[in-house]
Amino acid sequence: MANRGRFNEVCCPQHPEAHLIEDYRAGDQICSECGLVVGDRVIDVGSEWRTFSNEKANNDPSRVGGPENPLLNGSDLSTIIGPGTGGASFDAFGGSKYQNRRSMSSSDRALINAFREISNMADKINLPKTIIDRANVLFKQVHDGKNLKSRSNDAIASASLYIACRQEGVPRTFKEICAVSKISKKEIGRCFKLILKALETQVDLITTGDFMSRFCSNLGLPTSVQKAATHIARKAVDLDIVPGRSPISVAAAAIYMASQASDDKRTQKEIGDIAGVADVTIRQSYKLMYPHAKQLFPDDFKFSVSIEQLPQL
Amino acid sequence: MEVVCGNRFLSNNYTESASSCGDSKKSVIEEPQMGEQGQEVSNMEENKVVKDEIPAEIEPEPVVDIIINNVVSSFSVCSHLDLHHLALNGQNVELRKENGVLTMKLRRPPTTASIWSSGKVTCTGSTSEYQARIAGRRIARCIQKMDYNVKFKNFRIVNVLGTCSLPFAIKITPFSQKFREAASYEPELHPGVTYRIEYPKATLKIFSTGSITVTAPSIDNVQSAIEHIYPLVQEFGKQRTEEEMVEYRRNQARKHAGVTAIEEFEEEFSESELEDYILDQI
Repeated sequence: MANRGRFNEVCCPQHPEAHLIEDYRAGDQICSECGLVVGDRVIDVGSEWRTFSNEKANNDPSRVGGPENPLLNGSDLSTIIGPGTGGASFDAFGGSKYQNRRSMSSSDRALINAFREISNMADKINLPKTIIDRANVLFKQVHDGKNLKSRSNDAIASASLYIACRQEGVPRTFKEICAVSKISKKEIGRCFKLILKALETQVDLITTGDFMSRFCSNLGLPTSVQKAATHIARKAVDLDIVPGRSPISVAAAAIYMASQASDDKRTQKEIGDIAGVADVTIRQSYKLMYPHAKQLFPDDFKFSVSIEQLPQL
Repeated sequence: MEVVCGNRFLSNNYTESASSCGDSKKSVIEEPQMGEQGQEVSNMEENKVVKDEIPAEIEPEPVVDIIINNVVSSFSVCSHLDLHHLALNGQNVELRKENGVLTMKLRRPPTTASIWSSGKVTCTGSTSEYQARIAGRRIARCIQKMDYNVKFKNFRIVNVLGTCSLPFAIKITPFSQKFREAASYEPELHPGVTYRIEYPKATLKIFSTGSITVTAPSIDNVQSAIEHIYPLVQEFGKQRTEEEMVEYRRNQARKHAGVTAIEEFEEEFSESELEDYILDQI
């Protein structure tokens, strides 16, 4: 290997071992022994101008084009003609002269669209960039696998966003994802199961505690009520009072019980609106939990309405 | 009492003149307890006899009823059919042009058949393999009567749906966590755990009330699937509470009301009658 490197480099014919001095201004490589100019028109790879950190950085001349997305696209090294600037790019009527801005990247068009969809959906429910990135990676993996090719890309995008939220430990309910997506809950559920099978991963089961902070803050409940509701829901699931009920319904009923026992009361309808459960569902779970109310409340809870006076629906 | 399921199951009764529930199969699930007993048990009646002889400390062996609700079968009549002509001249038929399917409903046995113009027929609604075959032959006979040259070819059972209700409730959350590869539990999508097994091929839906629904390619698969899952589920079993008991009794009453209707049908439906009715040209 070292020998091969030697053959590639230029060297002075009389002094092959001599060190070459590089003159950047003239673009020469000069032998240090005899002064022969060995390399000619050596290209200068230094920067053409200096950029200072305190200057406005919106027009950094050293950079060409935006940041590339290396993991998720075939690296896009094609040349595109950008929108015109200046007067010459517009013809007589004000339309731009060069109009063909299509055919950018054929294979990645679907990917770019999907990433944009995922970003839009995540933006509507204020998801952080980590979840968006994870969802993008999932989508790319599914797209490469090609066994879900027949499913609509929007459905796969919604399902991969759902899985990303789950994997990050902050699950969103299917109804919440439905609210920001055009796809029905049934289709998202189907795609979700298919993606798990295609990528051969599993996800953790949802628990009642995952949703407490979000639901309670949307309802404007104080942290004492939220802590009480979390405790109630966890106790209810541990004691197995509510077998077969979805954790969302149990969480909603727990919030109802905790809020009714405190000063900040909320109706079943309000809680149902936030959580996406019907108020009869809350009623059903509440009926199961009411007889055991004494065991469910935390010990240090301040009751403004005592347990006997809790509404019995 | 150690609970070790011996898994020796017998009683493959296919006869239609069967026990209390028209098309149910009894699975005798053995739990070898103090001594070896019941190895030669092969029938419900014999089981009862064994029970009388057993001293009082040993608990009776649990028996689980598997009720077959639906058998889907498919066959071909080997000739192209003019669905429009059949729709106009047939009895109890309905043509849906959007799907290109003709639906024919039979009263005895109560089944529904979907007929395509290629001659392929899918028959659903039967409650046993034998009944499915009879229904298929009846359909073919109806088509034959409308002047088509039919053959009864490639009859095969495609899907069997069976249900069973275990004597105990099930804690499905720890169950699904233990069997993560085979079991899929999404409470938001479906209240039951979907458990798939490779051999015998079957899909089971397990509910927290203790009911299990099995879909499999044949009735034997349904039985072996239940036998396979019983020990796995038993360790997550729990006693039913009073409210669950109320629900359970209500469901059982509703189911038995439906089953007695089928029993009456089975009684009038003896084998010899059928053979006379259906000609052997098919």
